[in-house]
Amino acid sequence: MYLCNLSGPQNVADASCEPSALFSAVGVRLAQVRWSRYNPSFLEPEVNKELYQKPFNELSEEEKEKQELKAVRPIKAAPPSISSSVFSDPMISKFTNMMMKDGNKVLARSLMAQTLENIKRKQLEKYHRAPDDEKETVECNPYVIFHQALKNCQPIIGLSNITRGGKTYQVPVPLKDNRKRFLAMKWLITECRENKHRRTLMPEKLSEELIQAFNNEGPIIKKKHVLHKMAEANRAYAHFRWW
Amino acid sequence: MQNGVPRPRLQLSWPAVGRRAPAGRCRAAALRVLAGGSRERLPEATCLTEMSVMMACWKQNDFNDKACAEEIRTFYDCVARAEKERKEKKDEYTLSHKGNMPSSTVNRLLRRFPNITRYV
Repeated sequence: MYLCNLSGPQNVADASCEPSALFSAVGVRLAQVRWSRYNPSFLEPEVNKELYQKPFNELSEEEKEKQELKAVRPIKAAPPSISSSVFSDPMISKFTNMMMKDGNKVLARSLMAQTLENIKRKQLEKYHRAPDDEKETVECNPYVIFHQALKNCQPIIGLSNITRGGKTYQVPVPLKDNRKRFLAMKWLITECRENKHRRTLMPEKLSEELIQAFNNEGPIIKKKHVLHKMAEANRAYAHFRWW
Repeated sequence: MQNGVPRPRLQLSWPAVGRRAPAGRCRAAALRVLAGGSRERLPEATCLTEMSVMMACWKQNDFNDKACAEEIRTFYDCVARAEKERKEKKDEYTLSHKGNMPSSTVNRLLRRFPNITRYV
């Protein structure tokens, strides 16, 4: 009876733990369904076009090793959400997905496009109104504004609930990159959905919030500061952490 | 038995123990499958000094991130280093700081190389 060993390091001699093998031997499901079903030897697909256009001699050591590894290892299928186009941006895709409701990707994407257009219009207005010496300081690229705004909104330290002796304390804890990005995007979207006037459109609200966050002002930056202040107030409990 | 491995507790049979084992319960004179023992002390929190330095800087500069960029960078570096160390240490079989091997590690090894009880 062939059972796939999921715990402990995988032996090279172990044949690939394919889903068919797991189901055929025993009627009970042995692998978690929500996790990736790929064998760990599968590599991620490389979508960056510029990497392929570089001649072999110009690649760095790491990149050369990666290329050689690709000759012997299988590669996962590329998901439809990533693309090698110059216009695709993983952060913007993630933000669009978070804005999406009931799977209406068409609407979410159009809202995102309108948001970026609004940002560009507002910044261009500001650019043309500014005196000549200040014109260079005005940032007109909406993608730059989006990324910088998200970066400014990311909290540096978070709070986690730890129970000691029956009481639950809020302990300051360093956050992972994914968590920081998620929190920044979540705050932006909830702020725009809940705390604005009912009849303003989402692109308008979002563009306003993004420009404010780019300038380090506005309600989301304030929320981030509140979180930092709470972490600073609870710094005595930082010893409760064990990681 | 080497010094690093904890001594396994022998299960004594009823007549030898007397008061300890209740009547009717006969325990076999054989080693147990896994080592007992309390959970080892949890490790301490990492990057506490960098965190406190960063918070002091925040207090001085009214939580302005641009003014404290250097401290924030050191904090991030420390966190990245600690995370990398934790990942590397996770799958190793290391001794504890006192020199003995904790029961969790012993049990992991025993599960990988179990004692053969039956020959089929």
